[in-house]
Amino acid sequence: MIPIENFLILSSLLFAMGLYGVLARRSAILILMSIELMLAAVSINFIAFATYLDGEAFSGLVFALFVITVAAAEVGLALGIVLRLFRERRTAYVDAADSLKW
Amino acid sequence: MTDLLGNDLNLQYELLGPEIALVITAALVLFADAFRRELKIGQSAIPAISILGLVVALLLSLLWIDENKDFARLVTIDNFTTFFRVLFIAVTVVVIIGSHEYIERRVSHLGEFYSLLLLSTVGAMLMAGARDLLTAYLAIEVMSFSLYILVSLAKSDTRSGEASLKYVLLGGVASAMLLYGLSFLYGVGGSTQYTEIAAALSDGTSTLELPLLLGLALIIAGLGFKASAVPFHMWTPDAYEGAPIPITAYLSATSKAATFALLLRWFAGPLLPAIDSWQWMISVLAVLTMVIGNLVALQQSNIKRLLAYSSIGQVGFMLMAIVTISDQTGSALLLHLSGYIITNLAVFMGVIAFYNRTGREEIVAFRGLAQTNPYLALVITAGLFSLAGMPLLAGFLTKFILFQSVVSGGYTWLVVTALLASTVSLYYYLQVIRQMYMYQPEGDASRWRLSPTGYLATGAMLVGVVWVGVYAAPFYTAADRAIAPLFT
Amino acid sequence: MLPTDQLFSDYVPVLIASIAGFILVISALIGSRLLAPFSEEREKGTTYECGMLPLRRASTNVGNRFYLYGILFIIFDVEAVFIFPWVLTFVGVGPLAYWTMVTFVAILGLGLAYAWKKGALQWR
Repeated sequence: MIPIENFLILSSLLFAMGLYGVLARRSAILILMSIELMLAAVSINFIAFATYLDGEAFSGLVFALFVITVAAAEVGLALGIVLRLFRERRTAYVDAADSLKW
Repeated sequence: MTDLLGNDLNLQYELLGPEIALVITAALVLFADAFRRELKIGQSAIPAISILGLVVALLLSLLWIDENKDFARLVTIDNFTTFFRVLFIAVTVVVIIGSHEYIERRVSHLGEFYSLLLLSTVGAMLMAGARDLLTAYLAIEVMSFSLYILVSLAKSDTRSGEASLKYVLLGGVASAMLLYGLSFLYGVGGSTQYTEIAAALSDGTSTLELPLLLGLALIIAGLGFKASAVPFHMWTPDAYEGAPIPITAYLSATSKAATFALLLRWFAGPLLPAIDSWQWMISVLAVLTMVIGNLVALQQSNIKRLLAYSSIGQVGFMLMAIVTISDQTGSALLLHLSGYIITNLAVFMGVIAFYNRTGREEIVAFRGLAQTNPYLALVITAGLFSLAGMPLLAGFLTKFILFQSVVSGGYTWLVVTALLASTVSLYYYLQVIRQMYMYQPEGDASRWRLSPTGYLATGAMLVGVVWVGVYAAPFYTAADRAIAPLFT
Repeated sequence: MLPTDQLFSDYVPVLIASIAGFILVISALIGSRLLAPFSEEREKGTTYECGMLPLRRASTNVGNRFYLYGILFIIFDVEAVFIFPWVLTFVGVGPLAYWTMVTFVAILGLGLAYAWKKGALQWR
């Protein structure tokens, strides 16, 4: 079998890409996409650990399933809030959300 | 009933009675509001149903005092869980009673508001009771998702949508980081159960140092966000300012308490063997939070934002107890948490009553409150003095016990910083009190009274603040009994 | 076989699938660029409004309906994701698994009833 480090490196690369996306994007929808990418990376991590650990490790696989569900719910929720921002400011760029400072 | 591995599953659903009752109440409230015209019920039936459900849940959770059972190895029902269940239910009851006029006037979507508030309480209760990483994570998300929406429900207030946007985006990132850390903890510990992770970590597999360290850092980052620790606190002032005031009160109370319940469960349970790795991380966090939270509060002009930074400062004090975690510091933390919640609710209920009358949130708007409504000024003053740590009030006693236990844990320098920060905080609390007592009221100077429910909520909290300050013994024994299951 | 040979043969299908995906997408993009009519004059690209200059942007009241439908689809799709593994394994577990799934679907059905009552399912 290929060593587990390969999977962990893959998931960390994906996580880093997602994190970069969150930090560098102006559009709220792209930020949400990057959060999804981060959650996908976490799922890979869980499944990798579940497969490579000794013993009956179902928990990691079940965890990955629930992470997918939670990610879907989170994005649905966040899109609703972004929609509200869009209706108020006519733009989906988060720079428009600037009335609350310090 | 056995699970797939042949182990015995304890499936007493009565153990989850409070959560089930609250979920059913939330559904009832949601549908009662949706069918309001068909059922011909008034608007005030909705909070009434919620309070009824909360009382039922409270009675159900009192059934399990001094028990130690678990539900399907997912949720532990012990004194710790019961303590937090009662606390969360009480917070929600007080928030609903004290703010139902505000909610009727200034919150859109009444039924959704109440049902989400109830569901958020369910999430918080499960956070305190979880014994499995998956249950804990799902509970965190249940509580947080409800709060994301609740923050956005202020009617015709553009700050609300913006606050909710910032909260949800940052919260999503923090959740993802927490989850990544949990995946490493799972990998190192070999299981998602707290007890099995603790056993695996204390056996000492030194080849897994790096993943554990990484996991710890990520978990602390994720939980630091939820607890509003610096440098993960930037969402807090905006969310507190933009949210409807009852939700600000709820955020400052239950959200923080649930996160600390989770912190206690995790750092006294599965992560305790790794204490050398995370102790310094959390002490740095505690110092930064205390210092920056209190310093930035000095410049605030909006009362909600001021209270946001004040609660960030309080989180710094509470994080000290996690650094020197033991049954003594744990019970001091629980006592301080209860005192802090009662005090914060007292101030917030006062602010809600003030807002109902004047519609203003700036500190300068409080001018002359001592003349127009001396009772309200007294409540707010008592709350602020208690937060600052004046004797005879809750804040002094709980802070004293907390600082004393941290010193006996060996971290005197943390307590010195805390004392300095506490002195600084006195300044900005006094600012508000000065406005109320030292200035003439602007504009309308006639006396006004609170509504009956306003008197009830503020009165109960005022009594609580003084009671904990003067005779804290019952609370202290409750905290002792609550923390005991974590350290047996 | 050497370990690297086995690695190679395990993952060659993945490589082929990704190359096929690339070719598909790039050919669609290149095709549209090559075959679409393109006029040199700028005026031909503006919105047609009976020969006059356009008064304002075409207002797109896209928002609500599409989002609601999309979100309801996602929720029930994820519910199906939970139902698939349950279907494969619930027979061996017994009546508990059955009633748990019934409760789960009932809760989501309540959500659907709420969306229905609130008018989210109306197209207009």
